[in-house]
Amino acid sequence: MIRADAPLKVRGGVEFGVDLETPGMLHAVLVRSPVAHGQMRALHLEEARRSPGVVCAVSHAELAALLPAGSGDPERPVFPQEEVMYHGQPVAAIAAHTLAEARRAAKLVKVAIDPLPLWGDIESIYPEWPGSDEGNSPRINAHVHARFGEVDRILERSREVLREKYRTSGIVQMALEPHACLAHVTGGHWRVTTSTQSPYGVREDAASILGLPEERIVVEASWVGGGFGGKAAALLEPYALVLSAAADRPVKLQLSYAEEVELSRSTLPAVIRIESALRDGRIAARRVRLLLDSGASLPGRDFATGYAIGFIAGPYQIDAVELEGYAVRTNKPPFGPHRAPFVPQCAFAAESHTDGLARLAGMDPIAFRERHGLRERGLTPLGQQVGPFGLHAGLARAREMSAVWRAELPAGTGIGVAVGFWSTGSSAGGEIQIRLGPTGLVLETVEAEIGSGSVVRGLVVVASRSLGLPPEAIRVERTDTARGPMDSGVYGSRTTAALGRAIQEAALRLLEELARRVPGPDELKLDWTGAQVRVRRGPHSVELATVLTEAERLGGGIATQGRHYGRTGEIDSGRVLAGSFYGYGDFIGAVQLAAVDVDRETGRVRVLRYAAFQDAGRVVDAATYRAQVEGGVAMGLGEALTEETRWDAEGRIENAGLLDYRVPTLLEVPPIHVEAIEGFPGAGPDGAKGGGEPPVIPVPGAVANAVCDATGARVREMPLTPERVARALKLI
Amino acid sequence: MTDPAALWVNGRPYSTELPDDERLLDTLRWRLGLKGTKEGCRTGDCGACTVLVDGRSVLSCLTLTREVSEEAILTVEGLEADPVGRTVLEAFVQEAGLQCGYCTPGFVVALTGLLKERPNASPEELLEDLQGNLCRCTGYLSIRRAVVGLAKART
Repeated sequence: MIRADAPLKVRGGVEFGVDLETPGMLHAVLVRSPVAHGQMRALHLEEARRSPGVVCAVSHAELAALLPAGSGDPERPVFPQEEVMYHGQPVAAIAAHTLAEARRAAKLVKVAIDPLPLWGDIESIYPEWPGSDEGNSPRINAHVHARFGEVDRILERSREVLREKYRTSGIVQMALEPHACLAHVTGGHWRVTTSTQSPYGVREDAASILGLPEERIVVEASWVGGGFGGKAAALLEPYALVLSAAADRPVKLQLSYAEEVELSRSTLPAVIRIESALRDGRIAARRVRLLLDSGASLPGRDFATGYAIGFIAGPYQIDAVELEGYAVRTNKPPFGPHRAPFVPQCAFAAESHTDGLARLAGMDPIAFRERHGLRERGLTPLGQQVGPFGLHAGLARAREMSAVWRAELPAGTGIGVAVGFWSTGSSAGGEIQIRLGPTGLVLETVEAEIGSGSVVRGLVVVASRSLGLPPEAIRVERTDTARGPMDSGVYGSRTTAALGRAIQEAALRLLEELARRVPGPDELKLDWTGAQVRVRRGPHSVELATVLTEAERLGGGIATQGRHYGRTGEIDSGRVLAGSFYGYGDFIGAVQLAAVDVDRETGRVRVLRYAAFQDAGRVVDAATYRAQVEGGVAMGLGEALTEETRWDAEGRIENAGLLDYRVPTLLEVPPIHVEAIEGFPGAGPDGAKGGGEPPVIPVPGAVANAVCDATGARVREMPLTPERVARALKLI
Repeated sequence: MTDPAALWVNGRPYSTELPDDERLLDTLRWRLGLKGTKEGCRTGDCGACTVLVDGRSVLSCLTLTREVSEEAILTVEGLEADPVGRTVLEAFVQEAGLQCGYCTPGFVVALTGLLKERPNASPEELLEDLQGNLCRCTGYLSIRRAVVGLAKART
């Protein structure tokens, strides 16, 4: 079965955000702060405005005249009025007839910013753990704390306690298509077409930032050249919209790759302190303390600490667990979602640490995980029952494969295992409209295909099975937020699971409606002739067109709607001491194996083989599922081995470009054995669970454990660059 | 500053005004409307903008249009009409050697160039030479299946 968008995409025939173009369009450039933390003293745009080709230049001072309400959320100004919070933060924007003219003018903007003390590295701010009186400090965006069981007492009284500190780095999504949008404000309509994972999310953000009612803003997605969480919220849209309002012309804004790295809302550095007590070969207690850099996030708006920390102790049954996290405000771009936000980093610490415990216990690492892994009725550290969960089935397969690899691979090869867990984001709601016409079925959604296949394939397969029509009779039509229907976004591994359920509901309604129009004793079936839809009941078959009303023929067919607003799981609030935690949806278990070769002179790690056993609930489409796991593992390998953003002493990113921010290349990704574990159903169609994020989660831990297996050296900082591995091997 | 230039793209002649310092990528995308060639890093690190100039793979983001105005340029839009290009397109479609599709034009053009230059190259040689093209979605594995399938079908 050919993937529906493939013939177009190989010919370069889809229109991404960067390809958007309309007559009379202006090109915009952001003027960005040269310092990471400072007080705005003066900003002069006059010279830039006089520069050839410039149509308008805006900064904070111009907003009052451009925005109907004068301003938006004062906590989220489009441009800073007083305090600049990170290097490269946009302080003004310019629109000109050509991009070259806009760039020339941007250089003429005079900006004076008085530097303020830099809040840079979180370990310089808090070399140890923040004191108990730090919770209300302006440097803390969030504090979360949960506990059950007698963690202190067990840790104090146990003889075998492993205490470790792990460090993780900042990373960026680095989708190959940079952020790009085209805005046009006209007749009171604020319209923007943009490369986004969430049109409604962009609308909500833009409305809040600009102080506009949501209905005034219309957002439409273009095709998206990769998102990975980086295109799930507004980023460029407010700038392009205010420029268009000022110029009374359409305005295009696109980031360069350097800007992608410097403006990306993504994962930032963290320190994870983890300690566990062993008793009789079992983990008796675990305490995890997370110090997370949350950049210039707003107080109370930090989601990562409360979300990721629920996964930080691992999917294990432990009698006493304590989790505590601080999100620290620094002069970096705000923390944002990046494919399973911050959970690969959590699993790196938890899984490296758990491997160390297995060694202390003198046990095989897989057997040790089998001893502790959560089962169906097991409770997560926050007291949620895990439900149908394929972790043990995955571990059993990993045990078999690891034995095969041991026998086949040369001595000295390291084999590492790691597990992870995750939740299908099905509590993010969504609706869909389907329209059955004489020449096929149309799925109407605001969502663009971002690459995962969840829209062009996942939703189409679900619709195909629900209605008994072949995929070639079904196409997806993209709408905008003015037409709807509402959907939360293509993120959180939710699209096929959540919107798929909405399709099933819409399909049921459609079949019920047809059954009323074509009565008969036999079951109603739809047939596809290759060009036409027919309705059949037993021997009686008619063309769909004959049962449509005049209005339906005019409108393209019979339309029905479906919705799915999943439930959020409930946590045990008795375990919460501070802050807010999230209740998760369907839990997904992921088990992975890595085989590595470590160069004993340079510390370079080469991944030779990889296997992923993932709790799928039920696979909707095998090829798409496999592709998601392969791509996810590859992204995880980048996080494990090469990807990190590095900041200098002035708070600037040192490696803002693909040459220095190293993503995996073609021969660095080994063959990946992908195995879906079925039989542990989730809430998606026919029991499907999310698939896109879990494959990234165990990778850094699996690679680190394989390196330790090969060399005996434990690397407690990711990524495992040759330098860090060489240090652990005491080569340097 | 702008002078007319004659270009020969996908077997068709074009005449356009352009400044001396314009890059081929921008000429193709914004003057000729051939937006299948993708803009990535603009620094020669990602391969998304690959086109063929007289059969050789060239990064159009690092190429001045005037330097190639006498030569035959082949972009992703021209692959369908090219016998080698067509087999490459078919292989990528069959194996779904893509996800978001942004890097795809660069890959299929680069592979077409390699196969024209060295029709009997092994899959390993082809993959070795495609390392300059980056993909963020697939982990390259479906791309590898497409390349291996194509190389096998040719021999």
